[in-house]
Amino acid sequence: MKRTSIIILLFTIMLAISCEQNSNSIVVYTTVDQVFSEPVLKEFEKKTGIKVKAVYDTEETKSTGILNRLIAEKDNPQCDVFWSGDPLRTAVLKNKNILYPYTSKAAKGIDNVFKDKDNFWTGFSARARVLIYNKKLLKDNDVPQSVFDLTDEKYKAKVAIANPLFGTTTFHLAALFSVIGDERAKSFLENLKANDLVIASSNGDVKRRVVKGEVYCGLTDTDDANEAIKEGANIGVVFLDQKGIGSLIMPNTVSLIKKAKISDNAKKLFDYLLSEDTEIALAKSCAQMPLHNGVKLPDGVLSLDNIKPMNIDYNKTAGKLESIQEYLKAWVERK
Amino acid sequence: MIISHNKSISSNLLYTIVLLPVLLLLVLPVLNIVVLTFFGTNFPESIASINRDLFLLLLKSLAVSGIVALISTFIGIVLGFSLYKSDIKYRNVFRLLILIPLFISPYILAVAWKDISVLIFDYNTSIFEKTYSFFGMILVHSTIYSPLSILIIGSALSNISKQMEESALLMGSFKDMFFKILLPLIRPSIITSFVLILIFSISEFSVPAFLGFRVFTTEIFTQFSAFYNHNLAMLQSLLLIFICVILLVSERKRISDSVFLSIGTRGREVKLYSSKKIVVFSYIILSFAVVFTVFIPVSILVYQSFKTGTSKFMEAIFLLLPTIGNSVLLAVIGSIISVFIGFVAAYYSEILNKKLMNMMLLVLFAIPSTIFGIALIKFYNNSLLNFIYSSFGILIIGYVGKYSFISAKLIGNSIKQMPKSMEEAAVIQWIGFFKRIQKIVIPLVLPAIFASFIINFLFCFGDLGTSIMVYPPGTEIMPIKVFTIMANATESLTSSMALIVFLVTILLVSLLFFIFKKIIAKYNVNY
Repeated sequence: MKRTSIIILLFTIMLAISCEQNSNSIVVYTTVDQVFSEPVLKEFEKKTGIKVKAVYDTEETKSTGILNRLIAEKDNPQCDVFWSGDPLRTAVLKNKNILYPYTSKAAKGIDNVFKDKDNFWTGFSARARVLIYNKKLLKDNDVPQSVFDLTDEKYKAKVAIANPLFGTTTFHLAALFSVIGDERAKSFLENLKANDLVIASSNGDVKRRVVKGEVYCGLTDTDDANEAIKEGANIGVVFLDQKGIGSLIMPNTVSLIKKAKISDNAKKLFDYLLSEDTEIALAKSCAQMPLHNGVKLPDGVLSLDNIKPMNIDYNKTAGKLESIQEYLKAWVERK
Repeated sequence: MIISHNKSISSNLLYTIVLLPVLLLLVLPVLNIVVLTFFGTNFPESIASINRDLFLLLLKSLAVSGIVALISTFIGIVLGFSLYKSDIKYRNVFRLLILIPLFISPYILAVAWKDISVLIFDYNTSIFEKTYSFFGMILVHSTIYSPLSILIIGSALSNISKQMEESALLMGSFKDMFFKILLPLIRPSIITSFVLILIFSISEFSVPAFLGFRVFTTEIFTQFSAFYNHNLAMLQSLLLIFICVILLVSERKRISDSVFLSIGTRGREVKLYSSKKIVVFSYIILSFAVVFTVFIPVSILVYQSFKTGTSKFMEAIFLLLPTIGNSVLLAVIGSIISVFIGFVAAYYSEILNKKLMNMMLLVLFAIPSTIFGIALIKFYNNSLLNFIYSSFGILIIGYVGKYSFISAKLIGNSIKQMPKSMEEAAVIQWIGFFKRIQKIVIPLVLPAIFASFIINFLFCFGDLGTSIMVYPPGTEIMPIKVFTIMANATESLTSSMALIVFLVTILLVSLLFFIFKKIIAKYNVNY
């Protein structure tokens, strides 16, 4: 009896603690890696006194948790603010009528190309898709400079990309289809496949394979490349197609979730994420490129001004993805 | 045998009290999502997508998981015999060491083995890339699930009558006794081991996903995470659940009357073989297993954790420290409830032939974690039940739903072995239902209760699939923290975190063993 009482008491305490409602709080779901997003959210807490309750996602589940959770919670949303690592996931939510439009004053200095035309999301701090290569295995002359070089026989079975059904690789391929057209893009992918391209489980896995020398080079994001360099890996980074179609730039996005009452705290966090402070913090922690003009960059972080970006419409690219997804699935599954 | 006097008000009351919450809190969310699937707007499209290719993929997954189950069960027989029947020193140390792969995340083991394989084999060919995923999955899954097989088969070996073995040895050779007596006697446990491991393997996602090996679970996952097609993913999951239920029901039918698994031998004498050949063979095979499944992967983790000094390990401690309390408490509460429900389901199923609750737990066990998570969200995320959904209560419901069947299975098999005469004698004496449970049944199955508590604790403590879908915003539990941090952390930080989880688990399991040993000893004195 005594033991049962203790168990019931423990259970009640747990429920009581966890059900504690804090009116000065906000719920944020983010697909941005916790190592980078958590410090920004903590800083917001410190500056405003508003408690941030975050849900992070994992590499292993490839953002399934948060996206599916937001979709499943649609009728009774728990989340106030969605911070995404790329605009594509946000576009999925926009199409499912889960987002609420908001125009932030803090977005004033950000180019319109990085904003949704209906204000369902606003972009900030961007990553880029880059090629990383193992300096031991590839001489400077042999380093590919264009994504299309990867079909060259000299890289046979020595190039890795992450599974294009998930993450930013999906975005990259959808952007390619948008820019060069379906026919050319499909032909490029078929040639890659014929060249025994290695399909890794994630961008992190691409980084790992390049660092360990399993492959010569691979496509990944600037934050992965930056982490590898911080770890002391002997790799080089190339912004591809600087004389051609340009490199894909992927801004973070912030959105409000549609619910009965949009709290002021949600708007405060929205504004804070778009601030220059956040952009500086992300530039320092993971070399993300600020979208505001004139933000002072830490050493080693490139400015967007120095990169030729791929000329895409983010909403149209999201639409393109839907039309090519079945093809990509078949492409991945084909031996 | 069914004890007729048990059909009392008290016994029905207990069954109803437990059955109702199981039905309302655990089964109803699943029924809800099944109904939503069948009446969803894109149901016709989804059903059209269930084609020949999908069935072929299901067959392929069954075949691969079948190989895993065969290998693991074979290892279970060999190592189970070495651990439970040969007269070796340090048996308990070996038993604990051999369980270690159960404490390590499959994903982390897959990464460690990939690194090791790349070092050993020539990876400069695409053949390595193409064949590794298949062999890698079999290797990693066999490593993870063999300890379960060792537990199941080892326990069955411990329960074989010493007299029977000795009589057989008088009539023939050891080989004859092994193949004609021992193996047929433990056949039910071999079947159970095979079926359970097949189900675990076919439902596991993280290893084939990491290795790029397409199986049925990765297909379901793709529908969820790439296409956000809940309807089709649910339909595909129903196929998987159907297969799992068929397997478990057929296993149950085949061995329904057999006594095959219990934890503890309750004073029964176990025949131990001390011939030099057997002892040496056991040492060699156990040492090999410990080196291969424990020493190598753990060494890799230790090396990666400390290759740049101790700073990353300290950082990992700092990151994980706030999560330990919550995780342990939740896992303990989840395990206590699971064991309680498992006990009730097992008792009523085995003694009173009421199998409904056991069947419900079986279906919940067979549901892929992500689907179960979605089912919980769809059911609990409304203004009426928000107090559960926004609290740790939802995690406990998730744990209990997913893992109570394990308790029901382990305790049920122990109840099967219980001498019925004792409870019958108590019934004749008009001793009440609850008194009989408290004074006769629980003490008799206590070792199984504790064993299932530990196994449940391990599963709850490491759960990711369901937890990631429902964990309350702003809270932290250990497996989620590890996986959200490792996404872009350095290799040494990732390894350090895996190592800390492993050390905490070992510490907790050892502590639980110590506490339970004391309690069992106390019960044996009083009983």
